[in-house]
Amino acid sequence: MATGFFTDTTLCIGCKACEVACKQWNELPSDGFTFTGDSYDNTSELSGTTWRHVAFIEQMSVDEGGLHDRWLMSSDVCKHCTNAGCMEACPTGAIIRNEFEAVFIQPDVCNGCGYCVTSCPFGVVDLIEKFDPNGLHYNLASLNEARLDEDKTALQGHGGVAGKCTLCYDRQKIGFEPACAKACPTESIQFGDVDVLRERARKRVETLTGRGVSGAQLYGVDDVGGGVGPLHAFFLLTDRPETYNLPAQPVLPSTRQPAGYGSAALAALGLAIAGWMIFRRA
Amino acid sequence: MSDLLEPPGREETTPVPTYYERPLLKMPHWDSWNVVTYLFLGGVMGGLGVIGVLTNPKRESDRKLKRTLAVTSLVLAAANPAVLVTHLGRPERFLHMLRIVKIKSPMSMGVWGLVLYSGAASMNVMRALALHGVLPRWMRFLAPSFFAPVQALFGAFIMGYTGVLISATANPLWSSGKRHIPVAFVCSSMSSACALSSLLSTLEGNTEVTHKLERLEMLASTAELLALMSFERHAGKYGKALFSGAPGVRLRTYTTRNGILFPLALNLLGAIVPLPKPVDAVRTVIASVFTLVGGYLLRDTVVRAGRVSVQDPSVAFVQPQ
Repeated sequence: MATGFFTDTTLCIGCKACEVACKQWNELPSDGFTFTGDSYDNTSELSGTTWRHVAFIEQMSVDEGGLHDRWLMSSDVCKHCTNAGCMEACPTGAIIRNEFEAVFIQPDVCNGCGYCVTSCPFGVVDLIEKFDPNGLHYNLASLNEARLDEDKTALQGHGGVAGKCTLCYDRQKIGFEPACAKACPTESIQFGDVDVLRERARKRVETLTGRGVSGAQLYGVDDVGGGVGPLHAFFLLTDRPETYNLPAQPVLPSTRQPAGYGSAALAALGLAIAGWMIFRRA
Repeated sequence: MSDLLEPPGREETTPVPTYYERPLLKMPHWDSWNVVTYLFLGGVMGGLGVIGVLTNPKRESDRKLKRTLAVTSLVLAAANPAVLVTHLGRPERFLHMLRIVKIKSPMSMGVWGLVLYSGAASMNVMRALALHGVLPRWMRFLAPSFFAPVQALFGAFIMGYTGVLISATANPLWSSGKRHIPVAFVCSSMSSACALSSLLSTLEGNTEVTHKLERLEMLASTAELLALMSFERHAGKYGKALFSGAPGVRLRTYTTRNGILFPLALNLLGAIVPLPKPVDAVRTVIASVFTLVGGYLLRDTVVRAGRVSVQDPSVAFVQPQ
């Protein structure tokens, strides 16, 4: 069964319980603390060690009708794409699609090459640059105990591994829902069978539009285009995707390969023929 | 052909306020010396394999060149994985890539190309040593001559795959050059390989082949220049990170001027004006060194500009096709 998230941003209150629950369950280290000045958002972005990120958007405008203001909040997460750029790029096979059809990184197989980082059109996955054995340890979700010690040692080496949301693979294996969805007090983050969630999302956007909520739209329920396909973690937004730091037109990187290989082959063939003429003639 | 001239975005959109102008995409982690060196040496190594198969076996000077190429390409094939390991951290991490073959991952394809190239290169060195009498002569039967075209084939692949590797990503700059970067890298690899070959031949005193190598080098670097110019025109706003500002100056100074135009002028001089031998040798050495440095800095500048590109929110949200 494919499971996923439906993040209904109209219900988000910006409490960041999802961020905290994710960090705690997955034993992800702190990223340090800085005041960004960007509303209440001091997390800034998803990273190798931040797998939920709550965005805060303050919108204000004045016209004859008076002051219009709204405060948009949205909890961002790995999209677990149908066609995942990171997974296609991974040269070690560390990134797999598990039995819940989530995109999962096996940390003991990852070699830290960083190709997935440049291949994610949503800018989700990143390298965990350093592993501090004395600090909080990185939870190797769902891997068995025997491999765990080995992996801890592996992570102490230079170079790090890639990290992103596992869709709480370990929790799902024992029938729990992911930590962020469990912690969400308003059901802004809903977890379940993606087909059921998609239906719910479509109904919800109809209801909201009926109530006169302007700009209510779904992101990732249907194909987002560019070869990426529908997402397993999709969103209900009330503004353009860019406002929430989501790409309006993402493209699956591997779709560019035929053009690249083709033109490289032509160039190489041309040079080889020229070289043949130079060396073999006369 | 028409889409080579059109800007790569699906449609021109008016600037939309983005999320605190924060970058959407993550920074590539490839700006260190080892990644750039890997890309460069891979290209040169691939080019040496291709030149090796082009040489004329009927000429003594070409046979000598072929032997030099066989040994040099094997040395580079041995050095390159080591350079990659310094990036990955530990040697066994390289082996993680040998547990699968993935057609869709240019990095997986590239590693297998490198491994198979190394195999063919070893066989060719063995053959050269057997024919030369260093190894027992019967050992030439273990390494038949068809390993030379095999090495050339994988060499041609390695020349191009590094360009595909970086352009088949989500990076706005790199992906806008999905045709141009692979072509530029192939041409730069070939011109650098010619430069290294003529440098080594000059040092060996095998000056008979240098002018032929330089003719191929001139063709390759001219094609490289055209590919870069076409890339600049085609990329439009996606190319800003590479063609304007400090990276643009770097590219024009070290790659276009010092790495392409200057050696091109020197090689042209050598082809037209009959120079005395020692002067010609010095000219070859200077032209070769500039071409090699220009080739290295082409990779370095393109890879670094990828980090600049992700910081520009105006190009990340509508990604090039």
